[in-house]
Amino acid sequence: MRGKKKTGYIIKKTAFYLLICFIFVYMLFPFYWAVNSSLKSEAQLQMTPATFVPRDPETKAFSPTFKNYISVFKDGQFIRGLVNSTIVATSTTILALAVGSFAAFSLGKLRFRGKKPALYVILAMTMFPQVTVLAGLYAVINKLGLSARLSMILSYMLFTLPFTTWVLTSFFKDLPVEIMESAQVDGATPFQTFRMILLPLTAPALVTTGLLSFIAAWNEYLFALTFTSIEPTARTVPVAIQYFTGVIARQEPLGEIMAASVIVTVPIVVLVLIFQKRIIAGLTAGAVKG
Amino acid sequence: MAKNNMSKLAKREEKLAYRLLLPTVLILVLIALYPLGSVFYTSFTDKTFAGADKETQFIGLENYKELLSITIKELPPILDENGKQKIDPKTNEPMYERAIRILPREPRRYKELNQFTLFGKRYVIGATDPNFISAIWNTLVFTVISVALETVLGLAIALVVNSNFKGRGIMRTVMLVPWAVITVVSAKMWEGMLQPNRIGFFNTVLDKLGIGNGQIAFLTTEGLQLPSIIAVDVWKTTPFMALLILAGLQLIPDTLYEAAEIDGASKLRQFFTITLPMLKPTIAVALVFRTLDALRVFDVFQVLLSSRKYSMATYNYFQLIGNRNMGLASAIGVIIFIFISIFAVIYIRMLGVDTDER
Repeated sequence: MRGKKKTGYIIKKTAFYLLICFIFVYMLFPFYWAVNSSLKSEAQLQMTPATFVPRDPETKAFSPTFKNYISVFKDGQFIRGLVNSTIVATSTTILALAVGSFAAFSLGKLRFRGKKPALYVILAMTMFPQVTVLAGLYAVINKLGLSARLSMILSYMLFTLPFTTWVLTSFFKDLPVEIMESAQVDGATPFQTFRMILLPLTAPALVTTGLLSFIAAWNEYLFALTFTSIEPTARTVPVAIQYFTGVIARQEPLGEIMAASVIVTVPIVVLVLIFQKRIIAGLTAGAVKG
Repeated sequence: MAKNNMSKLAKREEKLAYRLLLPTVLILVLIALYPLGSVFYTSFTDKTFAGADKETQFIGLENYKELLSITIKELPPILDENGKQKIDPKTNEPMYERAIRILPREPRRYKELNQFTLFGKRYVIGATDPNFISAIWNTLVFTVISVALETVLGLAIALVVNSNFKGRGIMRTVMLVPWAVITVVSAKMWEGMLQPNRIGFFNTVLDKLGIGNGQIAFLTTEGLQLPSIIAVDVWKTTPFMALLILAGLQLIPDTLYEAAEIDGASKLRQFFTITLPMLKPTIAVALVFRTLDALRVFDVFQVLLSSRKYSMATYNYFQLIGNRNMGLASAIGVIIFIFISIFAVIYIRMLGVDTDER
C-alpha cells in the first residue's frame, strides 16, 4: 500500500519535472538560436544544414567568433542607445505605475459617479493602431516642443497607462473590503489606507505590471523611430539596431543584430531575476484576520 | 445624524476619487485626444500623406464604402448548344461564367474574393477591396487562435511556476525571456529559423526526422503562413499571459485551499471551483489587452509576410506609407478600433469586470 503511494509520487514528480524541462526548452530555444547565430561569422551563418553550435565550415570543429559582439560594442551608438533605453523605459514605468495606481485605487476601491465610463474611456485611448495615431501624436509633441526622450516617455503613456490602470484596478477590487473598513475604524484616511495598506498588498501586481510596462517601453520601435528622427543622440536600442551597417555592403548584418539583441535582453533578464521574488503571495489572508 | 455623516464621508470619498483620477485623465487628454480625434476626422476625407498637390476634400463615408463593400452574385453556368452545362475538359469540372463579367463595375468596381457552391448553384463573393477583407479575416483567425492558445498555455505555465520547486526563480525568469526579446528582432530570429532551406532550424530538424524534403517554404506556402505566424506569436506573448495570471494566483487566499483540502476536494476540483473563478477578473483583463494587441498585430506580419498576406494593421501601413492614402488608412484605424471595442465589450460583459459588487 505504501509502496504504491510512493511510486505514484515518483511518477508525479518525474512528470512535473519533465513538464518544467519542456517549458524551459520551449521558452528558451529561439533565444538560444539567437545566441548561436550571434557567435557565427557570415560564412557560418550560411552553412547547410544549420549547426547547433558555431562550427568551422571545413573542419567542423567548434569555433565561435566574438567579432559580432566586439563590433556592436565598438558602435558608440549602441552604448548610447542602451543608456537612452534605460532612461526612457525606467521613467515610463515609474510614471505609469505611480499615476496608474492612483487611478486604479480610485476605480477599484472608491465609490463615485461615472466610474464605468471612466474605465471605458481609459481603455479606448489605447485601442488604435500605433501607425494611425502617429501623425496626430507627432503634431501634439511638436506643439509642446519636448525633447526626444521626454516625447517618448509621454507618448509611451498611451499604451502603458491604460494597461497599468486596468490591471491594478482589477487587483484593488479583489482586495477584501474589510481591510479598508478596519483601517477606517482605526482613523486612517482613504489615502493613508491606500499608501500604507493596499499598496504593499498589491506588490505582486505592481511588480508584474511594472515589468510588463518596462519591457513594452524598452522594446517600442515606431514612436522611438519617429521622435528621434531629428535628434539621433536620443535613439533607443531598437532604433539603433536598425541603423547597423553590414560588413558587406547592403547586406543585413544578421550576426550583429543577433549579438545586439542578446545584449539588449540581458538587462531585462537581470531585472526579472531581481524582481521575481516580489511576485509572491501578499499578506491578504493574514491581514483580514488581524 | 449618522446618515448626514455618511453622506459627508461619501462626498469626501468621491472628491478623493476624482482627484486621484485627475493625473491619468490629464495625461491621456494631452496625448490622446487630438491624435484620436484627427484619425476620426481624417477617415472622412481623401487626405494624402506627404503630398500637397491637391486640396483635401470631405468625402463622407467613401473610404469606408471603398474598404468594406461586399456583394454576392450567382454565377450562371455556361451552356452548350443543347442547353447542357459545359464541362471543362481539363479539370472535369462544370464551367461557370467568369466572375469578372458578373461582378458590378459601377459605381464601384468589385473584385473577386472567393467562390462557393450552395444547393448546386455557384456564387461569387466580390469586394471592392478584397485585400482588406482578407486582412480582416486573417487578423480575426490569428487573434482567436493565438489568444486562445496563449491563455491556455499561459495558465498552465503560471500554475507550474506558482508551485514550489527548486529553481522556481530561474523558471520565472526563463518564462519571460520571449517577451523580453525585441519584437522586430524576434520576428527576424524566427524568420531565420523558418528559412525555406536547411539554413533554417526547422527544415534542418524536420529533414533529420525524415519529414519534408528540407525545402518547406513556411512563409510562402498559403496553408502554412498563418500557422507559422501564430506559432511565433504564441511563443512571444504567452509570457505576458503567464505573468499576469501568476500575479492573479497570488491573490487567492491559502485558506480557501485549506478548507477545500479538509472537505476532501480533489486537486482538479479545487482548480475548477476555486482557482478558475478567482482568476476570472485577472484573466479578463489579460484577455482584453492581449486581444487588443492581437487585433493590431503588426511586426510579425510585416517582417515575416510583408505584402504576401496582410493583417489589418500591416494593410493600414501599406495604405499609409505605400499608397500615401491617409484618409483610407485612418478609416482602417477606425475599423480596427471598432473591432477592438466589440471584443473588449464582449469580454467585459461576459466576465463581469466592470461590475462593482462581486
